[in-house]
Amino acid sequence: MAENNNAGEGLRRLVHDVDAVALGDRTSYESGTLTVSADEAAAHFTEEALGQVRLSWASPGESVRIVKILDAVEPRTKGPGGAGIFPGLLGPARPQGRGETHVLRGAAVVAAGFLPRAQEAVVDMTPPMADLSPLANTHNLVVEFDPPPGVDWAVVSAGLRQGMLALAAHLAGTTLDAPPDHEETLPPLRRSGRSGGGQDGLPRVGAITNLQTQGTFKETFVYGRSFTGALPTLLGPGELDDGAVVSGQFGHPSLKNPTYLYQNHPVVAALLERHGKDLDFAGVVISPEPVDQSGKELVCAHAARLCADAGFDAAVLTKEGGGNADADVALKMDRLEELGIAAVGLFAEMAGPDGTGPSIVVPPNRATAMVSTGNYDEKVELAEVERALGGARVALVDEPATARMELPTAAFYGALSPLGWGRLTCGETVMRTAPS
Amino acid sequence: MTRVVHYLNQFFTGVGGEDAASTSPARTDGAVGPGRKLQALLGDDFEVVATVSCGDDYAAGEPKAVDEILALVKDAKPDVVVIGPAFSSGRYGLACGRLAAAATQAGLAAVAAMHPDNPGLDEAAGAPVVRSGEAAREMGPSLETLAAAVRKLVAGEDLTDAEGRLGKPARRNRVADENAARRAVALVLARLGGDREATEVPLPNFDQVTPAAPVEDLSQVTVALVSEGALVPAANPDKLESARATRWAHYSVEGRDSLPSGEFISVHGGFSTVAANEDPQRIVPLDVARELETEGAIGRLHGEYLVTAGNGTSVGNAKRFGTEWVADLRKSGVRAAILTAT
Repeated sequence: MAENNNAGEGLRRLVHDVDAVALGDRTSYESGTLTVSADEAAAHFTEEALGQVRLSWASPGESVRIVKILDAVEPRTKGPGGAGIFPGLLGPARPQGRGETHVLRGAAVVAAGFLPRAQEAVVDMTPPMADLSPLANTHNLVVEFDPPPGVDWAVVSAGLRQGMLALAAHLAGTTLDAPPDHEETLPPLRRSGRSGGGQDGLPRVGAITNLQTQGTFKETFVYGRSFTGALPTLLGPGELDDGAVVSGQFGHPSLKNPTYLYQNHPVVAALLERHGKDLDFAGVVISPEPVDQSGKELVCAHAARLCADAGFDAAVLTKEGGGNADADVALKMDRLEELGIAAVGLFAEMAGPDGTGPSIVVPPNRATAMVSTGNYDEKVELAEVERALGGARVALVDEPATARMELPTAAFYGALSPLGWGRLTCGETVMRTAPS
Repeated sequence: MTRVVHYLNQFFTGVGGEDAASTSPARTDGAVGPGRKLQALLGDDFEVVATVSCGDDYAAGEPKAVDEILALVKDAKPDVVVIGPAFSSGRYGLACGRLAAAATQAGLAAVAAMHPDNPGLDEAAGAPVVRSGEAAREMGPSLETLAAAVRKLVAGEDLTDAEGRLGKPARRNRVADENAARRAVALVLARLGGDREATEVPLPNFDQVTPAAPVEDLSQVTVALVSEGALVPAANPDKLESARATRWAHYSVEGRDSLPSGEFISVHGGFSTVAANEDPQRIVPLDVARELETEGAIGRLHGEYLVTAGNGTSVGNAKRFGTEWVADLRKSGVRAAILTAT
C-alpha cells in the first residue's frame, strides 16, 4: 500500500532578508537593501479607476502612522514574471506549492486608503506597536491611490489587489540572481485516510482556517476565485506560501487576516516546527464563513468530515472577523470533538473596555480548549506622530491622522490576529479603579 | 498610618434590628462592633478612623442612599474603605456592593466582603469583593479574609482567588511569551495527551433550560405577551432602567386594541429606539395578538403585559425576573407566553 500516496516534492523557500529600504531610480536588491523606483512600482497599477498611485516607505522606528490599511502582501516570486506565484490572480489557476519560491523577508507591499465597508485599520511604526501589528515590524511600501469621483469601488478594489500582487512579484524578482540568506524546506502534504496514521506513531494534527465570505470588500480569494458559497477543501502548506489564498476583506482591522499572513500562516508555521517531533502535519482545511445558520452548520459538518477523511487526530481552528465568525469556530470544534478529533480554537475576547463582560459571543458546547488573542475593546493610547500615510484623518475618533489619540485594540491592524500571529492574550486582574 | 473607614449596617453598629432598618446613614468616630476585631487584625499600621452605618431598607431601597453613604465615607478622608462583611444578607449585600462600586469609581481603594451567593455581588461592577461566611457566626474567619485583602490592596497588589476574591475579574490584555499559534499547538498536544481541562478562556457557565411541552390547543388557553424591550407608558411611571435592570413592570392592555405611538415608549438602552417608538407594537405585538384572539386562534389574551429591559442585565437578576414572571402568570391562569426580544 502506498502510504505516501501524494508525496511529491515539497517547497523550498529561498529567503532574502531586507535590512534597509530606499527609493531610487531603479528597483534593485543588494546586500540586504531593497531600493524601489516609485515610477516602476506605480506602473504595476494599470487600473485607471485607481487614479494617481503614490508610493512611499514606512519603516520600523519611524514616526509615521499608516491609516485605512486595506491589505499587505509579502514580496515573493517563483521566477521571471512571477512564474506561477499568486495562482488564479497573477499566475495561471493551477495547484502550486512545489519547487522554489524567492521570499523578500522583512518587507511588505501595503495598500492604504478609502474603500466602502472597510473599517479603519491603524498601525504606528514606533516601538510600542511591535506587539500589536505584524506591519509594525516590516519595511512597508505603502500604496496610496486617488480614484476619480463616481468610480466603481469594486473595480478599484480589484485593480488594487492585482497591482499589489504584480508589484510584490516584481520586487521579489530582484532577488532571482542573489544567493539566499536562508533556505527553508516545507514538507509535501502527506495524506493518510486514517487517524492515528501519522509517521512514527505521531498524532496527525492540522489546521482549519475559516475565510471570511460576506460579499464584495469582505471576501477571500482562493486560486483567484471568491470563496463565498464554496465547501471546505484541503490545502498543503506550500500552496499558502505561493499565494493560493489572497485577502479581499477590509473589515475588522484587528481581526483581519492579511494576504501577508496567509503567505506566512502562523498556525501552519507552529505545526511545522513540531512536525516529525511531536506531530505529523496533516494539512490545512480552508472553510468559508457563511452568514446564515444553515450554511454554517453545513460547512462545519463538512469540514469535520473532511478532517476525519484526511486522518486528522487533532486540529487548530482559526477565523476571520467578529462575533459572527466565533460561531463558525465553535460549531466546528463541537463537530470535530463529536468525531473524536481534538480541537483548539483561537478566539479574540470581547470583554468590554473594562474586561468584565462575557468574553466569547458564541462559545463551543462540547469543546473547551480555547486560546485567547486578547481583548478587542481595551483602549490603547498613541502618541502624536510626524507624518501619516493612507489618509488625512482617523474617522473613528475624527482626529487628524497624526494626532495623539486613544483607540480600542480593535482598530490596530492584526492586533488580535485570528491566525495566531500575535503574543497578545488576556490575564485576569481585579480592577483597582473603575474605567473612565 | 493608613486611614480606614468601615461600613456596617444598622444591626452590626448596634442601632437596632428590623425595627431600625429604615435608619438613614450616619457616621461615628473610630471602630464599632466588628470594626474593633478588624482593627486588631489590621494592627498598628492601620487606624479605623470612622464607621459609617445605614439601615438595610434605606440602603437597599433609597436611590440616593449610596451617594449619601459615600459622602460620609469621603469626609472621613480614608486611604481605604472596608465594607461589611454582609454574609448572605441580601439588602445589606446590595448596599455593600453598591458602595464598593461607587467608592472605586470615585478613585478610592475599597473592598467589600460577602457570601458568594449574595445578590450584592453583581452590584459591585468589578470592584473588589472577597468571600465571607454565610452568617455572622463566621465573623472571625470572614474578618481575617477581609483584613488580609485590605493589606494586599493597600500594598498595590492584585487580589486573586488566594485572597478569596469573588466576582468576575477583569480580563486585561498582556503580552505572552509565545505567539497564539504556538500556544494553540501546545494546547492541542496537551488535549491529545488527555488534558481535557486546559484552556486560556474559561467557558461561561450557561444554564441549559429544557423547553416546556407545546400547548396542545392554543384556542383553549390564555396567552400573555412579555418582553425585554423596555416598552413602558411614556412617563415611565415605574422608572424602569434602560440598562442593567433590577426590576420589571406590568401594564394593563385590558380594553385596548393598540399601543399608540407617543403613549408608549421604549426606554431600552441597547438599541436605537426610533423605530420602536414610531410603532410600539413592534416591541409588544398587541395588534396582532388581538387579531388572533378575535379569530379564535388563541383563547384569550392576558390582561397585562410584563416587561423589563434586557440590556446588560445580570444573570442573577434575569433569573429572578423569570421566576417571578412564571409565578405571576401561573397565578393568573396563563398557559403560554410570547416573549419578544430585541
